[in-house]
Amino acid sequence: MTTAPTGEYADQEFETIDLNINMGPQHPSTHGVFRMVLTVDGELVKDVEPHIGYMHRGNEKLPENCDFRQIIGYVDRTDYLAQFNCEHAYVQAVEKLMNIQAPERAEWIRLILAELNRLTSHYMFMGAFGTDIGVFATPFTYAFREREVIQDLFEEISGDRLMYSYFRVGGLGWDVPENFKERVRQVVQHTWQGIKDIDGLLSKNEVFLARTRGIGMITQEQAINWGCTGPVLRATGLPIDIRKEEPYSFYDQVEFDVPVGEYGDVYDRYYVRLEEMRQSVRIIEQALEKMPDKGPILPERLPRLLRAPAGEVYGRVEAPRGEYGIYIYSKGGPKPWRFKVRAPCFSNLSALREMTIGHYVADAVIILGSIDIVLCAVDR
Amino acid sequence: MTPEEREAAIARARAAREAREAGQPSAPAAERPARPERPAREAAAPRGPQPPPEGSIFDTFKRVLPDVEWVEAVQGVRDVILTIKREDVPRVMRAAKEHPDLALDFLRSLHGVDQQPEGFDVVYLLYSYRHHHGVEIKTRVPLDDPHVASVTPIWRGADWHERETRDMFGIIFDGHPNLKPLLLPEDLIDVHPLRKDYPLAEIEIVQGEGASQEEGGEEIE
Repeated sequence: MTTAPTGEYADQEFETIDLNINMGPQHPSTHGVFRMVLTVDGELVKDVEPHIGYMHRGNEKLPENCDFRQIIGYVDRTDYLAQFNCEHAYVQAVEKLMNIQAPERAEWIRLILAELNRLTSHYMFMGAFGTDIGVFATPFTYAFREREVIQDLFEEISGDRLMYSYFRVGGLGWDVPENFKERVRQVVQHTWQGIKDIDGLLSKNEVFLARTRGIGMITQEQAINWGCTGPVLRATGLPIDIRKEEPYSFYDQVEFDVPVGEYGDVYDRYYVRLEEMRQSVRIIEQALEKMPDKGPILPERLPRLLRAPAGEVYGRVEAPRGEYGIYIYSKGGPKPWRFKVRAPCFSNLSALREMTIGHYVADAVIILGSIDIVLCAVDR
Repeated sequence: MTPEEREAAIARARAAREAREAGQPSAPAAERPARPERPAREAAAPRGPQPPPEGSIFDTFKRVLPDVEWVEAVQGVRDVILTIKREDVPRVMRAAKEHPDLALDFLRSLHGVDQQPEGFDVVYLLYSYRHHHGVEIKTRVPLDDPHVASVTPIWRGADWHERETRDMFGIIFDGHPNLKPLLLPEDLIDVHPLRKDYPLAEIEIVQGEGASQEEGGEEIE
């Protein structure tokens, strides 16, 4: 294999070979324990082979020995940045299977918390993505400062900073504090400024644009074929969002837009997430108006031992990373027979090879960051 | 009460007690209070799996693929669930993706369910963004010959899903370009953790009723 030299060596021929570089499981830029074997020609990536499974914990086998109420703890820990969305998928699946209807106030609170969690997840993305680009500390610090404000609220409600386990089959574990609406309004007020800060810092930055425009492009057909969902799919231009396609909870009673990108590149994925944060705030403001002030948060008569009828169900939500689904196959009884988590990051990551070939090694890091993976969801 | 009425009441009570002790009704039928009228019960709603309703995606499938044998067609809790034979998988899946009336271009998930001793179920969850309909298609794979055609040529996203299903259950997908272990270590090819005969832990403590593994506390190597 020869590459064309320039300058004083222009009349010589060099033979080069492709190099296999291991971006190993321990690496600051791989967003967790993820291994990529890059085959490079100089700095140009010819092939990518992702190796996953370093975080495989048997998250699908363990719930087979658990009561339906106990599985909430496992579901949290699959996507640890969008926990309320994951819990929402799980309780939705079980409630559909057992034909339980959560009361109205509980559903509104679930919706508000899921949208707030979308905000924290996207803040985390802004911070980590800025780090991948090389801006290192500034967006990271800004984003995490904003995220802490929302996490303080979550700690007041559920008692935990990260693994909330707050939703229950049928409703919520306990009622929110009395000042819930004022606190959420405060947080939302603060977040508008936070989103503006991140926007001003990154969106029109010359270096940011140069490093992200035209990188990691994927076409619409490719994205659907690979099973990509979420911002990766919306960046290609398709306005597909489960909250609009198959509305669950009260999403059909709030108005919001679905932001789309244009080229399907890394910049579009970043911009779609930024716009989604604005839409989330819009949804939260409307939900606060419509939420009843008082009401039960669990149905009146919930059996002490939840026994599901025989059957199967697939509960799906729009998590910040895409379509998060829980498939439960039950043979009757208090435990599921098969518990399957459909993680968005798993399918999005499988398209990595498609996006990375033909770019430079530095771009490979950015493309991986733009897919926004959470290894716990990929490996389960 | 007059003394005669008292006598009559005592005699009636004594007769009722003796009749009860003998197992007979305590008063003759004419004297028992009338049972209140109850409304006639409506015919109980049919239980068990229901066929898909009219106009569902099953009708479209029957029209597009008239000669496929549908082993089972059921209206599940949310989606229609169709069961096909594993020989029909390539044909049905290709039609599902490419026929314009079905256009199921999004493979949501592909996974296995352990149904030993009859084998394994392979579950395909499909959705169409164009027509906004979805379906669940299942096929049964026998235990001694766990092969099924791969759908990776149809949906590229099936690549990793099939690798994971092979890791977890041992189902071999014929025609898959790269069926190496994905989640398990590369050298662990013949270990299939999600099968029901694979233990949960070294010492299994199974809780609750309806235990799916062996009853508790047994030490397994």
